Amino acid sequence: MAVNKLFFRKTIIAGTGLFLCLFLIVHLSANWILLLPEETARELYNSYATTLRENLFIKSISYILYAFIVLHVIYALLITIHNRKAKPQKYVVNHFLQNSTWTSQNMGLIGTMILLFIVVHLANFWVRVKLGMGEIIELDAIGNLDVYEVTFSLFHNIYYVIFYTILMIPLGLHLNHGLKSAFKTLGFYHKKGLRISAKVSLIYAVIISIGFGVIPFFVYLK
Amino acid sequence: MKVTFKIWRQENRNTKGAIKEYKVDGLTEDMSFLEALDHLNELLVLKNEKVIAYEYDCREGICGQCGVFINGRAHGPHDNITTCQLHMRSFKDGDTIVVEPWRAASFPVLKDLIVDRSAFDRIMEQGGYITAKTGTAPEANAILIPKEVSDSAMDVAACIGCGACVATCKNASAALFASAKINHLNNLPQGHPEAHKRVQEMTYQMELEGFGSCSFTGACEVECPEGISITNIAEMYAKYTKAKLFG
Repeated sequence: MAVNKLFFRKTIIAGTGLFLCLFLIVHLSANWILLLPEETARELYNSYATTLRENLFIKSISYILYAFIVLHVIYALLITIHNRKAKPQKYVVNHFLQNSTWTSQNMGLIGTMILLFIVVHLANFWVRVKLGMGEIIELDAIGNLDVYEVTFSLFHNIYYVIFYTILMIPLGLHLNHGLKSAFKTLGFYHKKGLRISAKVSLIYAVIISIGFGVIPFFVYLK
Repeated sequence: MKVTFKIWRQENRNTKGAIKEYKVDGLTEDMSFLEALDHLNELLVLKNEKVIAYEYDCREGICGQCGVFINGRAHGPHDNITTCQLHMRSFKDGDTIVVEPWRAASFPVLKDLIVDRSAFDRIMEQGGYITAKTGTAPEANAILIPKEVSDSAMDVAACIGCGACVATCKNASAALFASAKINHLNNLPQGHPEAHKRVQEMTYQMELEGFGSCSFTGACEVECPEGISITNIAEMYAKYTKAKLFG
């Protein structure tokens, strides 16, 4: 029998989502280097960035990461289109907040905000550092590309500081609902385990969103 | 007690419907919501107007017929009840009450507040049963079932197929209904021989009927008159994967 489209698409969303959750842990831990004093942070951060670009294993993981982001977005779009068709007419009055959270009802909207964030974020860093487009990046004292300077100058623009910090709110909301739902979609149904996974998702979402959200402010104040 | 009803009126599935307003006096707080609608219909008969079509049968919360969307909630403002268990004391004198039919592409409106829920029947036809010889009742202890297994099966067997899960779901997903029916039989020894086939065929039919995906908003378990938990949906996913791998 053919694979159930409804389940297959959700499984892709859940699987790619879990991978992206793991990625965010690695990304955040490295980015906390930016909170260190400048003399330590610059060299450490630039060496780390060079390792990421040059290590073959990390390079291959990064291609999986790009593919998973694209898959997550495409399948979210397919699911949304299908779901809209399944519910073509809305209620005149619908008090959905009395039976569910705003986040769970608006994952598509929140996801779109995160996608906008990713596009801006990639344009600021990935396009300049990896593709070498835009303003030339200088080398630091030990010969690594000075990615720290890219971050430092970006986060001395208050508009970017606000943008990067505010967009961490939808990220946190998305992660909280997405992570606990992913476990269920992948067939984890132990009741006590699901209660624990809901708490873990909340803690994870708070750490990731606040963890990323404070970085622009700290760098701005340096 | 006096209220204003704003009710969806639609002649048949091919015509466009609209909300129509009715000011109704002479209600009491002790009336059930369906009795209030009966009262309104009597007034419409006296005025020689077409009565409002809505479904009901048992009026004691077990048949699943009376599903309507009341003031933005499936079965009205309270959690885990049917419309027939809703009383006018849940509203205040002078309130406006908006009543709409279930909204889902798979549940087309037949007339006013009545929708066609035969999509559920077609899902049931794909495996919502066990294949067994008929005849005299078998010996009760021939198949021993642990209490916790029979309890968990009973929890989901309680599903009355009212469709509130689909109605309240933003995606019109039938996952709670399907999972209840699948887990009920698949968790019992009598359901084991057809377990893999059941979960695959019933969920495939669910897809064919045009229901949406489950987003785990949790709205369905709040509106379900039997309080069936969404963990059943996760269990159905696990059973489906197992069936695909080993079935």
